[in-house]
Amino acid sequence: MKLKSQLRYHARALVVGAILAATLVLSLIWMTPAARPVGVAMKDIPFYRLPFGPDDAGTERPFWPSRLQSHSGQFSDPDRLPSAAECGNCHQREFQEWAGSLHAIADRDLIYEATVEANENADKRHPERARFCEGCHAPAEMLSGRVNRFVSVGPSDALTEGVACITCHTATHADGEAGNGAITLAYGRAEAERDAPQGAALLADPRAHLNAFAAPETTALLKSAQLCGSCHVEIYDMSNSRAEVAQPVQTTFLEWQSSWYARQGITCQDCHMASDPAAQVMAIRAGNTAKPERYSHRFVGGNHLLTDTGLGDALSVLRGGMLPGMDAATTKATLDVQSRQTTALLRSAAGLELRASNRDADGLHLDIAVQNLGAGHNLPTGVNDQKHIWLEVVLTDPTGAEVFRSGGAAERLGVEDPAAVTWIEHFLDSKGRRLSDHLTFSTAKVVWMRKPIPPRGEDVVRYDVALPDGTAGPLHLSVKLFYRIALPELIFTNLRRDMALPSFTMAELSVDLPDSSP
Amino acid sequence: MRLKIAMTMTTVVFAGAAFAATEEQGLESVKAFTLEHNDALIVEAEKMQTAAEDYAALIDANGGDYVAAWAAEPQKLAESVQALRAQWLAASNQYETIEGIVAGIPSTAKYDLILDAGNPGTEAEGVAEFDLTLPDGTVLEKPGSLFHTITEPLFWGTDKDHVKVEADLNGNGSADPGEVLFDANLALGAAQGMVKWAKALRDDMAAWEPNRDDAFTAVVTMTPTVGDYFGEWKESQFLGGDEAAFVAQSRLIDVLGIMGGCQLMYSAAVSPVVATSDAALDSAVTNDFDELIALVSETREREAAGETFSAEEADALGSEAQDIAERIVSQVLQAAAKNGVEIKG
Repeated sequence: MKLKSQLRYHARALVVGAILAATLVLSLIWMTPAARPVGVAMKDIPFYRLPFGPDDAGTERPFWPSRLQSHSGQFSDPDRLPSAAECGNCHQREFQEWAGSLHAIADRDLIYEATVEANENADKRHPERARFCEGCHAPAEMLSGRVNRFVSVGPSDALTEGVACITCHTATHADGEAGNGAITLAYGRAEAERDAPQGAALLADPRAHLNAFAAPETTALLKSAQLCGSCHVEIYDMSNSRAEVAQPVQTTFLEWQSSWYARQGITCQDCHMASDPAAQVMAIRAGNTAKPERYSHRFVGGNHLLTDTGLGDALSVLRGGMLPGMDAATTKATLDVQSRQTTALLRSAAGLELRASNRDADGLHLDIAVQNLGAGHNLPTGVNDQKHIWLEVVLTDPTGAEVFRSGGAAERLGVEDPAAVTWIEHFLDSKGRRLSDHLTFSTAKVVWMRKPIPPRGEDVVRYDVALPDGTAGPLHLSVKLFYRIALPELIFTNLRRDMALPSFTMAELSVDLPDSSP
Repeated sequence: MRLKIAMTMTTVVFAGAAFAATEEQGLESVKAFTLEHNDALIVEAEKMQTAAEDYAALIDANGGDYVAAWAAEPQKLAESVQALRAQWLAASNQYETIEGIVAGIPSTAKYDLILDAGNPGTEAEGVAEFDLTLPDGTVLEKPGSLFHTITEPLFWGTDKDHVKVEADLNGNGSADPGEVLFDANLALGAAQGMVKWAKALRDDMAAWEPNRDDAFTAVVTMTPTVGDYFGEWKESQFLGGDEAAFVAQSRLIDVLGIMGGCQLMYSAAVSPVVATSDAALDSAVTNDFDELIALVSETREREAAGETFSAEEADALGSEAQDIAERIVSQVLQAAAKNGVEIKG
């Protein structure tokens, strides 16, 4: 009774308030400008070239030889694409994590840039062949029509950010088996979202934001290894190289796909986006396959060079300078974490074991197992004409004198050690000559010098050591498994710099061998 | 302030080069600019030939025995290799400045293949159609471009087929990548070829009748090279290594010269066309060129005054220069499309 009286008392004010609110909402709807059409037709990009022609069905291939696709079939207006720095206004933690990643500098890193240029020089008549590289390294540049002999589209911050927020968060399709950038991106959704409420107003009406960046197919892909596979599988053929027979060059996703990890439902994201990737790997090694509590945007991987904060100013130059939205202090802070996590992850991947040691009249025979303990893909993986691992094996006598050595730290040798047991692939040109500077466009064949080690697998390496006469025991065995991200020849040839490239110690073994002199 | 410095530097670089009143006058100045750099290319190629003769003489003095030559004259040979590399860069820079024009003109396009962009005869397309005769009489049939197929890999030791002996050229105690003595016969023959073909290009360039398409092509192909040159300046300060190429003078001086040339060509030959169809666009491009030259000039002034740049500063400057250049090119290409200009290359 009392309540009804109060309602009657306030009825007029409530009705007026409701009418005002409805009027306000309707006014806002009426005042909101109609969504502008998004997308740019190819014909509106002056001098955009299609030097490789249509596909077999006669369909134009604006991004070939990359398999990248635009969801709408349109190009994008770079001024309407949100940069990661803009996303960082609200998603600050994710932005700063990402800023330390290799994804953030995929199109800025100096070594990559110089290598693309070297490839372009190898085929000066068709600079558009670089679309093969840029599809994965610079999707925003590609979808804006800037990867072209004549660049008639202006620059913007969003185009400099490599694999950025909008790359993954607008993906609508990805094909890890096909690779070569087989990903479809709905950048048009990101462009359209610019006309919707931004900033604080976005919280009141997040529908457009969710439609743009959290569409159901995108959300499903974000959890899928297929998304990663679209760029972490690289196959050379006549469209992008001189390979008459398809040459699998980078097969990281395929290696994972046939592994124990895939069967357990452990995806790329579970390790490389874990907030502590090394701890996650160690947990998996211990049999705990639980998903991470939080996914980070660091995408921690194996690039120990471009996260090496010990390089000082050179690191900043190699990484292509400061990202939009970052300053020196925040860059250093995020790179310090990235560096620690990269180092720890690399050290969680491999192991060494001495399986056998026998001495007879011919000398000493050692069986050393190199184990892939924590990587859900081969060791090494990626572009393995550059990324490689090798063994250093040293035997010393009781006086500490070296009686045998195979391999050595790259810093000491300065060049690839031909005597070392090395897991590396060689790119060969059409005359069978080795290309050590990642000249994709000139590569005709790719061969492994020693097959990489599959997930949870091992490679037992035999050393038959002819010991010098009179070698007395007991001997001490020291083994190191080294990893290096690139060959010095790549840096010298493409960057014209005689830069020391640090090697990374992934695993060590130190054993006093039983004295079994014959 | 920045603009004032730019104006001063541009005046220094292009003293006497009057801005054209008409498109026709502007086109003539483009031709003059091209011939000027072609002449400079010949001069640098001749210096390269002299350096190659000196190198070959050191090898010949030891009966063609590279090991013996290195043992006898390590210092002179190291200096000789550095001289060849420095001359290669000097010649290449001159050519790169006019490559857009050379490649874009039908009567001179073949020289772009011979000098810089052509493939060897073993390739299916883009073959440099010439044979190279070496001092010992050997004839290399369709060997590829003189700059990139032959001399660059030869002088920097990446042409493994013509490496004669590894040599510690920089005296740091080990023969690092690229530290080699290479085939003197090929070095001299290629340098002679460079002079010969640079002169042949000069003859055909002198006969060229300038036109609008070529002028636009030159601006849009040359201006974006600012990033490469600026990048070399930036990298040379922080990455160490083989800095011999940039010790003679700051790379920024080259940047200023080349970008000044681009500005001249735009102002002289392209602006009259753009202004007619879109005055606002012409004004925007003109302002962007002023800004670009000012940025380079000011940076050079600071460097000359002894200022050192942090990696972040150098990077920011390089990025800013490249952004301005890309903005210029995109606008000039849009103007080209509006005016039915054909961009070649």
